Amino acid sequence: MSNTTLVDSKTLLIIRGSTLWRIFFAIVTAGLAVAPWVGVISGLPLWQKILLSALSFLAAVASGIAAFDLAKMRHRGRIISLALDYLAFVASFVVVLNTGKVFVGIDALADTFGRGIPYLGIAFLGYLITTLEDRLTQRQVEEFYLKQISQIIIIAGVILFLWQVKAIEGFIFVLENLFNPAGLVSLVGLAVFGIAIWAMWRENTAIALRAKVHHEHLLNGWLFLSPNLLGFLIFFAGPLLLSLYFSFTDSDAFNTPNWLGFDNYAKILNIRLVPLDSPTQLARDVVDIKVYDEVGRIKFGNSGLLVAAADKFFWLALRNTLTFTLFAVPLSVIPALLLANILNSKLPGMKFFRAVYFIPSIAAIVGISLVWQWLYNATIGYINYFITLGIDFTNTLFNAGIIDPKIQWVSNENTALLSVIIIAAWQTMGFNTVLFLAGLQNIPGELYEAATVDGAGSWARFWSITLPMLAPSTFYVITTTTIQAMQVFEQVFILMNPAEGPNNSTLTLVLYLYRSGFINFKQGYASAIAWVLFIVIFGLTMIQFQNQRRSSIYES
Amino acid sequence: MKHKLNWKVLSLFAAIAMLFAACAPAATEVATEAPAEPAQPAATEVVATEAPAEPAPAAEEVALRWRTRPDNQEEIDVYSNISSELDGQLEGITLTYEPGGTEGANYQEQLRAEVAAGTAPDVFWIPGTDVADFATRGLILNMADLAAATDGFDVAAFYPGPMYHLTYNPETGADGAESGALWGLPRDVSTFALYLNLDLINEAGAPDPRELAANGEWNWDAFLDVAQKTRALGSDIYGYGASAWWGPYGTWLNAAGGGFFTPDRAACALDTEESLAGLAFQASLYQDYDVATPYGEDPEPPFRAGKVAMFQNGRWATPGVRTVEFEWDVVELPKGPAGNAGNWLFWGAYVVNAKTEHPEEAWQLVQALTTAETQGKVAALGANIPSRVSQEAFDAFLTFTPPANNQAFLNGLADSPATEGPLWAGSWPEYDKIMGPAIQAVLTGGRTVEDFGATICDEANKVFNQ
Repeated sequence: MSNTTLVDSKTLLIIRGSTLWRIFFAIVTAGLAVAPWVGVISGLPLWQKILLSALSFLAAVASGIAAFDLAKMRHRGRIISLALDYLAFVASFVVVLNTGKVFVGIDALADTFGRGIPYLGIAFLGYLITTLEDRLTQRQVEEFYLKQISQIIIIAGVILFLWQVKAIEGFIFVLENLFNPAGLVSLVGLAVFGIAIWAMWRENTAIALRAKVHHEHLLNGWLFLSPNLLGFLIFFAGPLLLSLYFSFTDSDAFNTPNWLGFDNYAKILNIRLVPLDSPTQLARDVVDIKVYDEVGRIKFGNSGLLVAAADKFFWLALRNTLTFTLFAVPLSVIPALLLANILNSKLPGMKFFRAVYFIPSIAAIVGISLVWQWLYNATIGYINYFITLGIDFTNTLFNAGIIDPKIQWVSNENTALLSVIIIAAWQTMGFNTVLFLAGLQNIPGELYEAATVDGAGSWARFWSITLPMLAPSTFYVITTTTIQAMQVFEQVFILMNPAEGPNNSTLTLVLYLYRSGFINFKQGYASAIAWVLFIVIFGLTMIQFQNQRRSSIYES
Repeated sequence: MKHKLNWKVLSLFAAIAMLFAACAPAATEVATEAPAEPAQPAATEVVATEAPAEPAPAAEEVALRWRTRPDNQEEIDVYSNISSELDGQLEGITLTYEPGGTEGANYQEQLRAEVAAGTAPDVFWIPGTDVADFATRGLILNMADLAAATDGFDVAAFYPGPMYHLTYNPETGADGAESGALWGLPRDVSTFALYLNLDLINEAGAPDPRELAANGEWNWDAFLDVAQKTRALGSDIYGYGASAWWGPYGTWLNAAGGGFFTPDRAACALDTEESLAGLAFQASLYQDYDVATPYGEDPEPPFRAGKVAMFQNGRWATPGVRTVEFEWDVVELPKGPAGNAGNWLFWGAYVVNAKTEHPEEAWQLVQALTTAETQGKVAALGANIPSRVSQEAFDAFLTFTPPANNQAFLNGLADSPATEGPLWAGSWPEYDKIMGPAIQAVLTGGRTVEDFGATICDEANKVFNQ
């Protein structure tokens, strides 16, 4: 006996209607897939044409498969239909919000909301009054009147709030903006896709299509995951893939990009090591200076080695970034480990110090960098002031004759990067301390007791118990700190003026790609730099993972 | 349970209400007090008649957004006031003023992102060095046709330096009123001067630079003399301070007869004898005579703390300097071997978004923003000098003191300053990033002037189009 005999006529009609809807959807999306290439939709850049065609084609194929499955009363058709209609519903909703200019109004919310807060407070007061009903269960008359009063107060508060924030005008504003072809189409789309979702989601349809329990779990799981997943795809994965495309073009973000192939990458990675006849030989004598610039030179007695690159700034930035990472990571991890051990003790005031040391990591980087800019000022900064005080005191007391160095922290190429390292280490140390503290909490106390019984001193306990048991935390801290250090930007951008520092000593990779993309109008080249940086960070992280696998004792 | 339901209903209602509240039209801005009319001016050099431009009639009410880059709240207030007044004067046009961020708040980067996204205002300000980049990429409107159809509009009413770049046609290489190109109108101009700490100069027994300038004796030797005498007051007192960007160090190259580029601005000229001479003198201030604040350190804090005798900066710094607690004034830059001070003419322009839906109205707005009256109101702040070459503009500028010696800035204008500008034949940002670190290396002693001269143009010439 066919399954259709067990299905009520209404559900059968809905499924047949959904099948037709899927066929119609497949035809429309197939048309959308070819529309950009036959001139029906014009004015789109190449990447948008490809994206629209690919997505439309996929939707058409999926819809066709779903139509076939629904005709055969297979549940797979229901799943595909729900997925397609849900995505289309979300897209229609976004178009409705955009056409209605709701996104633009979010800025205006800051202006209007403040006026309505007191009236929301009145409504909240009414709500609080309703909670008093619980105390009057034995006095029904009073309870009745209290309920009436509280409802009146709530309604009055809400009405006043709506009036004060001009909600009605806002609603009319949205409707007026939606009263145009795009708005009306998107509203119709919203309704149609909503009905289509309802048609497939209803229980009778699920039963008719032989849905199982795990099907419902699957659908619910994807439904809950969808907001995060869609956000990830649209705001992260999408732009990421787009930047990969742009890295192969000469995009300036304004005009249609031209395909360059690997030219950007070739320029970035074009570096030469050329022997020099003398340490002072000019670069133009050994390399084509129309192509290469001198990055640096290594001197060996009466000769040397010239390092020349097609893009010297990239290699300078790479050198600075790796140097920064080499020093900033240990300086923010090792003190954090030691601090965590101290803060893990039962001494009075430790909770206070835990909070104090964590504050730099939650403070705004911009604010911190501005403060440190003042501290580092060579003429009136506090750091040099206290150094001078200390030297004067020492010279006075011991007649030492020490010369005040008057360190030019940010304007000397030998100290500029160090200045940034100090800030970064100081700021990151607190957060790493908290991570280590969490790891220390998980170390069983019995291990320390047993070690103490065996006669181990504090250093032996730290070296033989604490460090190995903290291996997972240490690995995580070092990996994340390294990734963060390789992407250093804000401190350099705010602290240094110019941001590249004296003689490009604080030019970092992220700063360089920012400069290329947003100041030099070279978005394609900046994208290529970003992907090279990704490969470098990925490589470093892989090395750390390999080391962790080899050395980890307590993986299980 | 009942309370939870009420709470949920209330919360949902509030959320929906907020959504619609967000869509309510924003309130209009409140106009601030307009600055008072200026008093009678001091003498000026250049006088040109200002030709009023007739606005084209507007067919229907159009809404225009416009933006400029104010450096402080006082400027925002003045521009807001100007916007309100122009809103009433320009028939059929509703204006919305958007105060952009300061230079430190990445005004340019934000603007470029908006231009790329298609959400930039109809009219906006850009620095002079950005004009070529915006024009060659088709981001700003060529208003030559609109200007030609406007009775009374005269390119010569503005300073010729900025107008050269604003009328430069990259396709033909021509400039001027007949070039077929008009990329914008200059908002204002500025020059450098030396802000003087008169208390320090008097205490050091150094001659008053203002008197030296008035007597025609204000040159590099006199400058060095004042700097050395004030430096001798103490190890924490400096004779001279300047920020580390192309503006300050460029003046020394210019004053020696050199400069950044060849006259056609198509090749590097940093290695000429004159440029190197200017660089050598400037380097001596840091290395040999040790009279200057450390290069790369911000000199403004020590100047404001009363520890720098002469601080090189533009007119835009005046509002901030007015709050210092010592006696101060300004003097023009000292004249160099070439016979002039090598000053810069800084400027920025109001331009029209190429994607504006209302080009004619936007052109009206640009004209209205650059009338002498409007520029006078901005000049009242003391931040910059009007870009119109007119007596009325100078009158407005000179009467807003301190500094008492406002004339020093106008003298800088009259001293054949080099106009800042874009590189139509290359990339100015890239040129700056090559030149800056190399110059800094010389000034901080990390590199010799000879080595700089031998190598700088090899690298710098790459930024020019082949």
